[in-house]
Amino acid sequence: MQKNTTTPSIIEMQNVGIRYGQGPEILSDIKLSLKKGSFHFLTGKSGAGKTSLLSMMYLAQKPSRGVVSVFGKNVNFTNRDSLSMLRRRIGVVFQDFRLLDHLSAFDNVALPLRVCGMDEREVKKRVTELLQWVELDKHILATPATLSGGEKQRIAIARAVINRPDLLLADEPTGNVDNDIAPKLMKLFVELNKLGTTVVIATHSEKLIADFAYPCLHLQNRNLRILYPSSSLRNAGGSHEQ
Amino acid sequence: MSNKNLISRKQELPLKDDSSSLFLQVMICIAVFLFAVTLAGVLSINSMLVTWNESILGSLTVQIMPVNDANVQKAQKGTLEHQQKALEVLQSLPEVESVTPLTDKQLQKLIQPWLGDGVDLKNLPIPRILDVKLKADAEPDFAKLAEKLAEASPLATLDNHKLWLNKLIKFADGLKMLALTVLVLVIAVTSGAITYSTRTSLGLHQYIIEILHTLGAKDAYIAQQYAKHIGMLGFVGGIIGIMLAVPTIFMISRLSEQIEGGIISEARLSIGDWLEILSLPAFAAVIAMVTAYYTVKRTLEKMM
Ligand SMILES: Nc1ncnc2c1ncn2[C@@H]1O[C@H](COP(=O)(O)OP(=O)(O)O)[C@@H](O)[C@H]1O
Ligand SMILES: [Mg+2]
Repeated sequence: MQKNTTTPSIIEMQNVGIRYGQGPEILSDIKLSLKKGSFHFLTGKSGAGKTSLLSMMYLAQKPSRGVVSVFGKNVNFTNRDSLSMLRRRIGVVFQDFRLLDHLSAFDNVALPLRVCGMDEREVKKRVTELLQWVELDKHILATPATLSGGEKQRIAIARAVINRPDLLLADEPTGNVDNDIAPKLMKLFVELNKLGTTVVIATHSEKLIADFAYPCLHLQNRNLRILYPSSSLRNAGGSHEQ
Repeated sequence: MSNKNLISRKQELPLKDDSSSLFLQVMICIAVFLFAVTLAGVLSINSMLVTWNESILGSLTVQIMPVNDANVQKAQKGTLEHQQKALEVLQSLPEVESVTPLTDKQLQKLIQPWLGDGVDLKNLPIPRILDVKLKADAEPDFAKLAEKLAEASPLATLDNHKLWLNKLIKFADGLKMLALTVLVLVIAVTSGAITYSTRTSLGLHQYIIEILHTLGAKDAYIAQQYAKHIGMLGFVGGIIGIMLAVPTIFMISRLSEQIEGGIISEARLSIGDWLEILSLPAFAAVIAMVTAYYTVKRTLEKMM
């Protein structure tokens, strides 16, 4: 499906470079086109620049050079309010979850709906439903500090998908959790993808990559290569797990 | 399920816990207190000025002292000559519309309370009086006028009550300008403090703000939360400030009445003045809201 060239691009990158301050380029000459409805893993050693690449996709950073277009809009020529409108179509699961510690599970998941001014009755309905689905209805009023890593992860994922995003980005959602991403949550991502959501998941998990035959965006030596499931990952991707 | 608590939605930005909140509230309370007391001063000076200006505008009185001479006839004649000189000088002035000497009959009436009826002015050395009407838009320099008059006739004097009142008006005007400067300064310092603590708070909550941005919040969404919070601080601080200011204003006006019975008693605050003073907490809330809102907008524009 993602190889169909008539499908619109959700993300386009051309000659993209990114650096922090006056430091060296972390990523150089990135060229990338993610088609609507595609599903990719994002791999690479720790420090390879996965988070940096994703942060350009969820519009937290502009490239130091080159062109990044999200939903067909060049981010360098898009004003702040329009960027906010684009962000509303993107769901993000952060590596460290980034939940608001003083808010309950319910309020955390409700955030994306409230920032776009949704009616509270609708908010309550949607959030309650989703929290039930991720089996957190017992902890609806609990604050993140009182929850386990797995539970926090489920809140983070619920917050990312509550707004039925067109683009879902997950930054090593397995990173801080003892075991792999729960199959049920992976199934959620696959379901959303079937409904048309474009998905990128940064991961270290060989098992995940092997179990789901999706292509990998692989970062190495500041560059990006796309590895298709047919090629031997273990050889091509290198030992990207420490 | 215990969902009833969900209705009392918690603020995403825990601004109430900012340590600067209390500081701002106390600061606004003091600012409103100062503002109210100073404004009361300005408004009473204003009402005083209105009364004083009414009595000083439009006309003035010149008095010609009688010439001393054993010969009554000669003295009378001399006095009238001096009156004529003063009259000519006054008529030559551009600010003067007309000059009318009071007639014997009018003078008699003025003197009557002291000397009783049937006094023959011809036999008494009494001063003559000129009633000077000024042009409508005239703003005469009374000191200069008095000088010119003295040159023309050493016996002619400007009614010094008005001269004195004129000086008082100038003094009150200066006082008013000073008070207005204080009001401007109070507003400037307060909005400066609001701007500073809003910026500090934005830095403090940068983590939350970045998350809100990532989830699609516009700057206005964050700015509104600040405006609401700081506006409320301004309102409550303002109410407390006013509650302290009103008794203070009463106390000051009591004291000034006791000290300077005559003049200051004209410094009454009207109902409109009181409404102006009592609306200060709302005014403080609006200033606080607007300042916070635009500070947030301007500061966030520098972030991606
Ligand atoms: N905010 C930042 N400031 C400076 N350097 C950064 C920042 N974020 C990441 N880096 C550097 O950029 C490189 C890539 O980091 P990152 O994108 O987090 O990689 P990954 O997610 O693949 O581990 C690392 O060398 C890291 O030290
Ligand atoms: Mg990372």
